[in-house]
Amino acid sequence: MPPSHPMIEVRHLRKEYPTADETVVALEDVNLAIPRGQICCIYGESGSGKSTLLNQLAGMEKPTRGGVRIGGVVVSALDENELAAFRQRHLGFVFQSYNLLPNLNAVENVAMPLMFRGVPKDRREAAARGILKRVGLGKRLTHYPTQMSGGQQQRVGIARAFVARPEVVFADEPTGNLDSKTKVDVMEMICSFARDLNQTIVLVTHDDNMAQYADRIVTLLDGRVVDDRLTGN
Amino acid sequence: MNFADILRLCVQNLFRRKSRTILTVLGVIVGCCSIVLMVSFGQGINEQNERSLKAMGDLSIVTAYTSGGGYGMAMASGGSSSSGGSGSVKLDDKAIESFRSIAGVEGVTPVKNLQYTATAKAGAGGRYIDDGVQIMGIDMSQLDAMGLKLTEGDKPVNEKQILAGEHVVYGFMDSLRNGAMRSYADGSCTYSEATGQCVPTEGEDPYFNLLTTPITLVTGANYQGDPYVQNLYSGGAAGMAGGASGAGASGADGQSQNVTLDFTVTGVLKGDYNKGYATTDGFVMDLKVMQSLLKKIDPSSAAKSMTYDQALVKVADLSQVPVVESQLKAMGYETSSYEDLRKSMEEGTRVIQLILGGIGAVSLLVAAIGIANTMVMSVSERTREIGIMKALGCYVRDIRVMFLTEAGAIGFFGGVIGAALSAFVSLGINVGGMWLSSMSSSSSDGSGSGGGASFGTMVWQAIVGGEDVTRYSVIPWWLYLFAILFATCVGLLFGFGPANKAVKIPALDAIKNEQ
Repeated sequence: MPPSHPMIEVRHLRKEYPTADETVVALEDVNLAIPRGQICCIYGESGSGKSTLLNQLAGMEKPTRGGVRIGGVVVSALDENELAAFRQRHLGFVFQSYNLLPNLNAVENVAMPLMFRGVPKDRREAAARGILKRVGLGKRLTHYPTQMSGGQQQRVGIARAFVARPEVVFADEPTGNLDSKTKVDVMEMICSFARDLNQTIVLVTHDDNMAQYADRIVTLLDGRVVDDRLTGN
Repeated sequence: MNFADILRLCVQNLFRRKSRTILTVLGVIVGCCSIVLMVSFGQGINEQNERSLKAMGDLSIVTAYTSGGGYGMAMASGGSSSSGGSGSVKLDDKAIESFRSIAGVEGVTPVKNLQYTATAKAGAGGRYIDDGVQIMGIDMSQLDAMGLKLTEGDKPVNEKQILAGEHVVYGFMDSLRNGAMRSYADGSCTYSEATGQCVPTEGEDPYFNLLTTPITLVTGANYQGDPYVQNLYSGGAAGMAGGASGAGASGADGQSQNVTLDFTVTGVLKGDYNKGYATTDGFVMDLKVMQSLLKKIDPSSAAKSMTYDQALVKVADLSQVPVVESQLKAMGYETSSYEDLRKSMEEGTRVIQLILGGIGAVSLLVAAIGIANTMVMSVSERTREIGIMKALGCYVRDIRVMFLTEAGAIGFFGGVIGAALSAFVSLGINVGGMWLSSMSSSSSDGSGSGGGASFGTMVWQAIVGGEDVTRYSVIPWWLYLFAILFATCVGLLFGFGPANKAVKIPALDAIKNEQ
């Protein structure tokens, strides 16, 4: 993809949720362009539409109008299989509630995106072990999620998001369930990965302090972008 | 995703809910077991039927005869069917040749029975007498092709040699012992008042050895039978010994026309009623010998061309019997074989098998519902996981394959264990049945005399079967295969709905922050 294009491009995005008596408009007319390598924070109170925007960006839902391009690909136009292949190759996810598979150990959880791609077991687990060591879990490789603390689980989650070296990583309230000290660790970890590999991060949060780690803060209110500024990081 | 990875995940998921998996598999085991055992009972009945048919004779023999001709062979219970054709066809050498050219026919022999009364005598002065003995003429060169076997001795090679039926030697009475006969062990038993058991009839040695004793045959156009025997049955008790010793010379009616011939027996046939009674209770000679015998009795018959009473057609493969039979009918001959009987027995068994199999199928259906239940539970439990996997880029088809594999694995392992279990249960039933029958038959001969087979041989017989082994439950190899395949398919079929439900779970469910 040519560098002149933004990594993520949102144009006239509108999302409505029809209910019984009225239609709820979650996103009005959102326009956004995120260049490669930027750590972009989507900030807003709950109900502002920030989660809806993230779902739209990741192709989890179809938009009512408008569309999302990631690396030139119209995400909203992909079918289920194309979307799966696209996610394997280009996207990574960090979730608020970690979302590790309980019956897989740390290495297996981290290696999962590579497994979906069909990478052989020894190669993908070697990669998983390497990145787990980097997030400081070298001694917990074979631990299961239930045997780890929240911060450790989220570090596994981060390792999983970055193991396949995706171009874009979506992080949905990655620090929402963590205490303040761990929050800082996790945010620094995400940012250091992103800077090393020039990856684009879309960070969704309602936490002011966390937003400060980003290069840019886009504030949403009632489905509209009300503020868009660079932090100067 | 590699299939190896999918398999690994399946195993992990199945082991995660161990007791639930085990219970579901148990359901399949029971279902599979019941279907296999039920069908095996049907197979057991089939085996018994086949055996009782085989005891009647060779099933691959079709008897052809003309509607007017002498239907000399008494069928035990085989169906005979009339073609309704005219009696114009002849059973002669030409016809025999045409039978040989029918596809699937292994051998054909014409049969000419001696239509005159005959008496066989043996021993010093014709001491041993078999009155009214059956004499059959066949083509000796077809002996092997017809599946006729010799229990002793060899084939006859000249016109002085004949074959004896399996039990014909016991048909001889001793004229010096008031016509007493020896009996052979025929498998029957007599009820004993003392023990309350049925005592098997014990065989006796015959009076003489057929292979070393020359046989004299007496017959003739007006021959009525041996005078000694006639005296014996008509109540004329006087002058037994004298009458017997003078039998050959006594002046009976038509004695002047009697033909007396000496033969040596070169072999003893294995009896088969489907190939003529003479193979059991008579003498069998080559057609040429029969022809010259007939000429001696009635010189006028020599002028006529030889026609046969019937033809025995040996079909190479049992399944070809109906085809050959219909071709023979099309040629204008009447036929009879065990085919009709076999068919009706088989159909009867099939109905029983279907009923039994249906009963078994119900329990497998219950097991299938168990599989579906387990999979539905599993899918709803793992909604979140499926969402995560989808969000991370797992293909929908991989998720479907994963759930189908789980359901199929439950079916497969249930099938394998069920098949193994039914093998044991079937073995137990058979051994138990044999033990019971050996108990009742061997308890008469006193305490601990070791009657009956040892446990080891019983088990072996229960597995492989045997000539006189009664197996209640017979599992052919294909039944195991079918059961395992069927159980797996049932698993896949009933796992399909839940698997489809799983792939429809949106990735969004995983993103939702619920905790």
